[in-house]
Amino acid sequence: MLSSCVLEESPVLRPSDSAPIAVYSARALTKTYGSGATEVRALTGVDLDLYPGELVVLLGPSGSGKSTLLNNLGGLDVPTSGSLTYRGRELTGASEKELTRFRREAVGFVFQFYNLIPSLTARENVALITEIAFDPIAPEEALGLVELSDRMDHFPSQLSGGQQQRVAIARAIAKRPRVLLCDEPTGALDVRTGITVLQAIERVNIELGTLVVIITHNAVLAEMADRVLIMSDGRIHEERANSIRRPVGDLEW
Amino acid sequence: MTPLDRKLLRDVGKMKGQTLAVSLVMACGLAMMIMARSLTHSLETTRDAYYERNHFADVFADLKRAPNDVRAQLQQISGVAAIETRVTGKATLDLPGFTEPANGTVISLPDDRPQQLNLLFLRTGRLPERGSRGEAVISEAFAEAHGFQPGDAIPAILRGQRQVLTVVGVALSPEYVFEAQPGASLPDNKRFGVLWMNERELSAAMDMRGGFNNVIVDLAPGQDAAPVLAELDRILAPYGALGAYGRKDQASAVRLNDELRLLHGLALAFPIAFLSIAAFMSSAVLTRLVRLQREQIAQLKAFGYSSREVGVHYMKFALIIVVIGTVAGSAAGFWLGGNVVHLYHRFFRFPRLPFSPDLSAIAAALATSAAAAFLGVIGAVRQAVRLPPAEAMRPEPPADFRPSLIERLGLAHLAGTSMRMALRNLERRPWQALFTALGIALATGIPVLPGTLKEGINYLLSFQWDVAQRQDVTVGLDEPGSAAALSNLSHLPGVVLAEPFRTVPARLRFGHRSRKLAVSGIPPNALLNRLLDGDAHPIALPPDGLIISAKLAEILGARPGDRIQLEVEEGERPVREAVLAGVFVDYAGVSAFMEIDNLHRLMRESDTVSGAYLSVDRAHWTEFMEKAKQTPRIATLLIKESMRQSFKKTTAESIDMLQTLYFSFAVIVAFGVVYNSARIALSERSRDLATLRVIGFTHREVAGVLISELALLTLAAIPAGLAIGSALATWVVHSASTESVRLPLMLTPHTYATAALIVLTSSTLSFAAVSRRIRQLDLLSVLKAQE
Repeated sequence: MLSSCVLEESPVLRPSDSAPIAVYSARALTKTYGSGATEVRALTGVDLDLYPGELVVLLGPSGSGKSTLLNNLGGLDVPTSGSLTYRGRELTGASEKELTRFRREAVGFVFQFYNLIPSLTARENVALITEIAFDPIAPEEALGLVELSDRMDHFPSQLSGGQQQRVAIARAIAKRPRVLLCDEPTGALDVRTGITVLQAIERVNIELGTLVVIITHNAVLAEMADRVLIMSDGRIHEERANSIRRPVGDLEW
Repeated sequence: MTPLDRKLLRDVGKMKGQTLAVSLVMACGLAMMIMARSLTHSLETTRDAYYERNHFADVFADLKRAPNDVRAQLQQISGVAAIETRVTGKATLDLPGFTEPANGTVISLPDDRPQQLNLLFLRTGRLPERGSRGEAVISEAFAEAHGFQPGDAIPAILRGQRQVLTVVGVALSPEYVFEAQPGASLPDNKRFGVLWMNERELSAAMDMRGGFNNVIVDLAPGQDAAPVLAELDRILAPYGALGAYGRKDQASAVRLNDELRLLHGLALAFPIAFLSIAAFMSSAVLTRLVRLQREQIAQLKAFGYSSREVGVHYMKFALIIVVIGTVAGSAAGFWLGGNVVHLYHRFFRFPRLPFSPDLSAIAAALATSAAAAFLGVIGAVRQAVRLPPAEAMRPEPPADFRPSLIERLGLAHLAGTSMRMALRNLERRPWQALFTALGIALATGIPVLPGTLKEGINYLLSFQWDVAQRQDVTVGLDEPGSAAALSNLSHLPGVVLAEPFRTVPARLRFGHRSRKLAVSGIPPNALLNRLLDGDAHPIALPPDGLIISAKLAEILGARPGDRIQLEVEEGERPVREAVLAGVFVDYAGVSAFMEIDNLHRLMRESDTVSGAYLSVDRAHWTEFMEKAKQTPRIATLLIKESMRQSFKKTTAESIDMLQTLYFSFAVIVAFGVVYNSARIALSERSRDLATLRVIGFTHREVAGVLISELALLTLAAIPAGLAIGSALATWVVHSASTESVRLPLMLTPHTYATAALIVLTSSTLSFAAVSRRIRQLDLLSVLKAQE
């Protein structure tokens, strides 16, 4: 698989002693911004294991550290202390170049504001990834997964918010990432459109077996997850496993 | 300070790179404008004051000799305010420690009446005392070139008589602001000087006792020169008049006017180009700023600020750019002007040439650049304040794009993803793309000018002095001599070949246009001084008819085959029609040639010669010079190599300075325009770029996306810029092409390559600067922000 091949090539990401079953393993993870009077302790000691094929929902109030944790998992940021491994490889202390490569080949991101390139059509936005990925899905197929086959040649300005977000999901999964990280993916959408977006994410998780982590303010989403993590004050305050996942279509809003 | 002004200062601080880039481009235009206008102003005011204060004559006339009583008759001419009769002559100066002889023009100073016209400005020393012997005042440039001081002795040969003159003073004359040998295109102060002596003494030396051979006239205010010229010619005709002429034909005045005309042109053309680019740049920067601050504007309006207050706030940004640009431009303009004015000292001699800044130029500069910047900004500001606050606070919808022209033409497969992004971006903002390209084109065009001038001078030097004029020395006799005189010249030591010439003053007339000049007779198939056409092929001199400078043909409006009236102003003053048989190419002065025997027939004379072109064996050079100096009949001696050296020295320095200046401007404009565009693109698309980084594009790949757009513009702009530069260089070469000096238009690959290289290097530097910014892009905050 592509992600392992990347990480095995990376000399700085040393093998860790922990069991390699988990995709991610965090131990005593902290992240501090600034210093002295302006010091902000965003993560204050996170212990966490995330497993293949899981759909995890991360809940918590603003400032609880959800986004910081997600950014560290995605290689957009590096922890201040503690250990964070991805498939047995240490991410703490990885160089910018290694992180770029990690993002390029292992992680898919979905953001609240879609972040599509306005000068590229839906298909081209996805192709942006498939051009640089190791073993991608064809852009058409990825857009089919999010049910946008009929909108492939539209520019972002010609798509609704929900459609733009689904293009973003197609773009994120086209590289067959092991991990899909979603930061408030429905935050800017109305309920009805939000559902179509969540259904697309759910489908990716089930059909491709991708580990999905979703950050949200919306507690309703907890029911679609395998596991729910509730954060406050920079640590995981509560962890809850759902014995049965409810399909997105059955959620009560 | 109001909170809004504080916000203004901080915002400017954040955009200091761009503010500076725009201000500097503006400053370049203003510096150029202020420099050129201040130089024009300095030269014009200094010239006018000098002419006025030192009573520079309006009309000039040379003749063979008239008795002094004719002066009274001349004074009766209506419209004459003052008249002065003078004795002038040529002298060969045998300067100590200087192998080659120098030439001098000697002019009399009245010693029995006060001097009225062309008053000397004494730099040091005094005028010759009445009744004194051997005293002379010498011209300043010549004195400086040799380090002469009052008390020094100069051995001179006047009409074959050797005498030692004592320098009593160093002076300047409005008649010799451009102090050069008659007909010379550039001053050679080592080999030419002007000397003033007492009239009584000079008349005696020139065999002119009781008479005069030169008249200068001051016209009554408002008097037209033409009737006075005609009357002078009529009265002086019996005395060998050589034709009167006005100030506009006076050699020194002509040169000064030519220079001023060129400066006037430069003061306009360049600044307009620079300022329009700067105006667009400030518009682009501020449009971007206003768009970025859309929400802030909405909030300000929600708080109750009026549209006008918000508009004024953003206008102040433009004002800051204009103020920085004007201050920097004025400072640079004055500094450059102050330096260039010293350069003029080499060509133009005034008692004082102070640099007088043209303050109206600053006012004009401020007004022009402010107007340009405000025009550029007004659209963006109006758009911003028109938006209702509630709407402005909502995020802008994604920008509208469509497939680019290339894709619409079905050539999509030719462009990769980043190229497609680049093309669509360019098409979406065609004006921005156009002006960016224009800015880069301008930067490319600027260095073409000095390059063209430099190549032109190189070509001219080799054409004029290697190909056309192959003589080493041109010798002029004190007065026309017989065949024996030629024989004497050809027997000087080291002379390999001697070709005679006969020169007579004449007026060429075609239709209502005419020019006074020297017509030369030379042997057909001459080997030394050759007449060449534009392709440097020798032109055979026909047994009948005239060959004239192409520039002269242009002035007269005549073409080969036309019949030109030739009015000789010497001897029996024959008037005859001659066919214009052809034109030849030359680059300094204008002249006319005919076959020497033909000229002899016209003048009804036998083998008379005025001088000869000599080819001298280098091995006998010193010997030749020694002998030539001792030959009394030699009045002038022009050494080609010395002329070439002096030409090189004077022009090379000016051109090098011009080149440095223009290269700097090109670098500033290229860097400024590309940097500014890249920064705007970066700010407009930081979100796109951050997204690309997040999904795994490397820094290099992301920079490539941004740079491909600008690289596309740069590559498109360079050929356009070379075309603009060529047009500009052509225009300057044409405006600088005057009767006294011309330059061939030499647009060479070397010049083009240099210009392109300057722009490519500057662009690469700005790419590098912006690429560093991409590295510093804060991925997270960019993505979280709602734009």
